[in-house]
Amino acid sequence: MGDRSNSIRVKVSRGDDRGRHFDEFDVPALESQTVLDVVTWIQRNADPSLSYRFACRVGMCGSCAMTVNGKPRWTCRTHVSKVLQGDTLTIEPLRNLPVVKDLATDMSEFFDKWTSAESRFVPTKTREDAIEIVQPATKERIEADAAIECINCGVCYASCDAVELNPDYLGPAALNRAWTLQNDVRDGGKNSRLRAVTGEGGCQNCHSQQGCVQHCPNTLNPTRSIAGLKRLATRAVFKREL
Amino acid sequence: MSVQTTDTDILILGSGGAGLLAALHAYKSNPELEITIAVKGLMGKCGCTRMVQGGYNVALSSSDSVERHFMDTIAGGKWLPNQKLAWKLCETAVERVRELENEIGCFFDREPDGTLHHKAFAGQTADRTVHKGDLTGIEIINRLMEQVLARPIRKLEEHRALALIPSADGVGISGVLLVDMRSGAMKLVRAKAVLLATGAGPTMYKYYTPSGEKSMDGLSMALRAGLPLRDMEMVQFHPTGLLAGKDTRMTGTVLEEGLRGAGGELHNGAGERFMFKYDDRGERATRDIVSRGIYAEMRAGNTTPNGGVHISMSHLGPDNVREKFKGMVKRCADCGFDLAAGKVEVVPTAHYLMGGVVCNTDTETSLKGLFVAGEDAGGIHGANRLGGNGVANSTVFGGVAGEAMAGYAATAELLEPNSVVLEREIERALMPFNLEGENVNVHALREELMDIMWEHVGVMRDRIGLTRGLERVENLKSRLLAGNIGVENRVFNLTWHDWLNLYNLIEISLVITRAALARENSRGAHFREDFPEPGSLDESYFTQVELQETGLEVEQIPVEFNIIKPGESLIEDYTETAPKVQRRPDTVGA
Repeated sequence: MGDRSNSIRVKVSRGDDRGRHFDEFDVPALESQTVLDVVTWIQRNADPSLSYRFACRVGMCGSCAMTVNGKPRWTCRTHVSKVLQGDTLTIEPLRNLPVVKDLATDMSEFFDKWTSAESRFVPTKTREDAIEIVQPATKERIEADAAIECINCGVCYASCDAVELNPDYLGPAALNRAWTLQNDVRDGGKNSRLRAVTGEGGCQNCHSQQGCVQHCPNTLNPTRSIAGLKRLATRAVFKREL
Repeated sequence: MSVQTTDTDILILGSGGAGLLAALHAYKSNPELEITIAVKGLMGKCGCTRMVQGGYNVALSSSDSVERHFMDTIAGGKWLPNQKLAWKLCETAVERVRELENEIGCFFDREPDGTLHHKAFAGQTADRTVHKGDLTGIEIINRLMEQVLARPIRKLEEHRALALIPSADGVGISGVLLVDMRSGAMKLVRAKAVLLATGAGPTMYKYYTPSGEKSMDGLSMALRAGLPLRDMEMVQFHPTGLLAGKDTRMTGTVLEEGLRGAGGELHNGAGERFMFKYDDRGERATRDIVSRGIYAEMRAGNTTPNGGVHISMSHLGPDNVREKFKGMVKRCADCGFDLAAGKVEVVPTAHYLMGGVVCNTDTETSLKGLFVAGEDAGGIHGANRLGGNGVANSTVFGGVAGEAMAGYAATAELLEPNSVVLEREIERALMPFNLEGENVNVHALREELMDIMWEHVGVMRDRIGLTRGLERVENLKSRLLAGNIGVENRVFNLTWHDWLNLYNLIEISLVITRAALARENSRGAHFREDFPEPGSLDESYFTQVELQETGLEVEQIPVEFNIIKPGESLIEDYTETAPKVQRRPDTVGA
């Protein structure tokens, strides 16, 4: 970091889907500085009308993802020195989602698809029952755990070519969650969910380009989860269950 | 100013653990009711339940009991909790964790034999903290969010609540004035029952851990609506917040307590390990003692370059640290710090507000039709909150509120709003556009507030400092009202919301300061250098602040020992002041 000049040239995408342009700002370079700090500096010191979204500041809420120098990232956990090209940063909203204004996208369709994929637990027990015995070393628990720590930030969705080609495609995050549930021994919704994720916008749309794997800030592997769903679907077709 | 008006049966403000559980319980109780959740950010993606690392306290292990959990909560709260609320918390947590696991789908960590894993947490006499790794909050909120999204519950995302609007006849609540942040339009949502679950969050301090959008909105609205707030002097500081300078949002964010538990050392600017000067347990002393130790070093000028102290883990072996604290090491590395092999600057950081709106065990407040749950509610934790009781509190009482509101809304009527209050509140929210005068720099004023509160109303307090703090915050308020923000467009206007945030933070800062002045003893999170003793436990009182026509009024109200009195215990061999429990040194949790 010692070689950095003392200011950063920042190009920021402004406007919404009716019209967008870039504004440029010079932002002082600091030793401890994330991309979110750069955006915040602009709003506080250069242009108070700049719109963006953030909440937790520590990579837990997934509200602040943007496109930084062409790649989708959590801005709160991206140190400027890791992404700077020369002395320039280009910051745009996430791809594959409508823009509300400037850097904030409308994530409604992302969550609607989460619901369409039936990516929610279907109980087989109630609060009156004891908690199910599930040994952590079992294959199902290990599979369920492998993909469970998704924070629904939308980075995979924005990096997915299949979503770009087919706007009805459910996308990596919703399908990744569906896979964890198909491995959850406590869940009672597996048959219905498998139908939900193998329809028109379902798992077959994935061409394993692995944009999601490359960009997931939590180092999850949705491509692998989707491959698991495809296997389940094939098996179900053979058994005439689907 | 025109206001679009819509009606709903139940309106929930907030989508943390309290808000989402309330929606699910209300829906289950009566699916015929129309339920609406309004939230300042995206559904389930703002607020602090999601940020819970440690876990969820629940008496489910064979060595534990509800009585023991209750005793730890009362002892930890220094005898100030409302005992009926504390009992309900501990009792209902058992059912709530089973509901979260069996019905909602949270998949908590297990022992090798497949039963729930309970980890040890500081200040507790049994292992009772259920968790999902060190990302328990994400698991709870994601699973709740999925369930809420799948039900016919109306969502108002990026809708900020501006004011609680009472009925024209004053008998109850009529609804809530909101602004759609995306369009800037004002809306009145009338409701038969309203839940305040916006999650407080002491972000008026120079260093703070809560989610960045939090700004005491709920408590500020409650105060303006005339509701009493209790225990407002009780602000919990976490000893190790990241210190990276004032221009980064990373500053203040929490480095987990487990680092000290595992043997992490604190060094001052001269490289001395100082905590043993203050407590025999060194770095493993409780949060409040370590925070005061660090603060004392800072005040004496024994500081690191950014004005804090260092936490050092490398003597434990960098690879070992990387393995044991994977998430924490990665977070630090992403932001340019080497936690495993280097030193990281830390500082005490405001973490949680124990105080809140006075309520009963059914979450009812003194305003008919208004309910409260989570960090907005007061009295559950008293003078200090145990780690793991925060998410228990929000989810337990959120569910309780959902059922209570469904019962209430079944027979209640929608009420006509008090138009005078409505007009006044609209005018207040638009002040940043309409005030005469030079543009105000909202951010500079926010930084000034954070400095004042840290310096005068922070880790250590005394009369002179608190009085000075009060004057300075009042002066700051008048400067905030001396001009407009210089941005006309109301669409997704963050600077407008920064102004509203600051206004609310100022109002509640004044309440905290007044309550802190009134408590002339030291209990839990509140430490008065001029009154360092805890005072008589038998004569324990809590502070209660109300906004009256003449200004803020502070009362001292005796604690009702309606379950146990100081010196008594519900279980045998209980030593209230220092739980005598032997545990491995590496299991003291965050």
